[in-house]
Amino acid sequence: MAMTAGLRKFALTAHVTCSVGWLGAVGVFLALAVVGLTGRDAQTVRGAYLVMEPAAWFVLVPLACASLLTGILQSLGTPWGLFRHYWVLFKLLMNTFATVVLVLYMETFRFMAGVAADPSADLAAVRNPSPGLHAALALLVLLVALVLAVYKPRGMTRYGWRKKMDSA
Amino acid sequence: MAESPRYPGTPRWVKVFGIIAVLVILLFVHRLLGGGGGHARHASQGPGSHPATAGPPEGHTGSGGGHGWQ
Repeated sequence: MAMTAGLRKFALTAHVTCSVGWLGAVGVFLALAVVGLTGRDAQTVRGAYLVMEPAAWFVLVPLACASLLTGILQSLGTPWGLFRHYWVLFKLLMNTFATVVLVLYMETFRFMAGVAADPSADLAAVRNPSPGLHAALALLVLLVALVLAVYKPRGMTRYGWRKKMDSA
Repeated sequence: MAESPRYPGTPRWVKVFGIIAVLVILLFVHRLLGGGGGHARHASQGPGSHPATAGPPEGHTGSGGGHGWQ
């Protein structure tokens, strides 16, 4: 799929914006998780868990899906391709995995919001280490993807090697 | 006609990443299928449950939290 230089730059800009935006949003969720676990004020703690669900639906999920989609579109229009180089392939797999885990985790966000909204639930029942753990792991995955994107370590897949030899 | 160069092989970093990825996926599948089911594994306690603490549940008295959920 041939892309003009201008279109390639646009696709790259869109992908970087979505991916770095996703990274930043996960950082915010980590902060919310810390507030939820360590906050002393009951309303603040409950608020942290209540806001996670809508924030995830309106920010995390769209950014994750947009990052995946723009990454696929952008790679298909460049010489790097989607399956020719290991660094691209690993980024694709990590992005897909993180997006799937996020979508599955939405049910947990809904559950935690329900507990936080329940006035009969103690603060101890509202507090939950799970969002902090998941946010930290997500941050790690996205940082690894960022490093791969910048450093582009060498290594072609067998498919990429065959394509390269065929075009030579 | 010159012979085309052979495939140089998979780099070491790919093998290391691959092993880590497989372990992560196995862990994820294990938690998904056999982690105790539902939200119980994510929740410290269910809603409405009261741990065995010395004091009354938060928000049911005028002390401490102040804002309360009374």
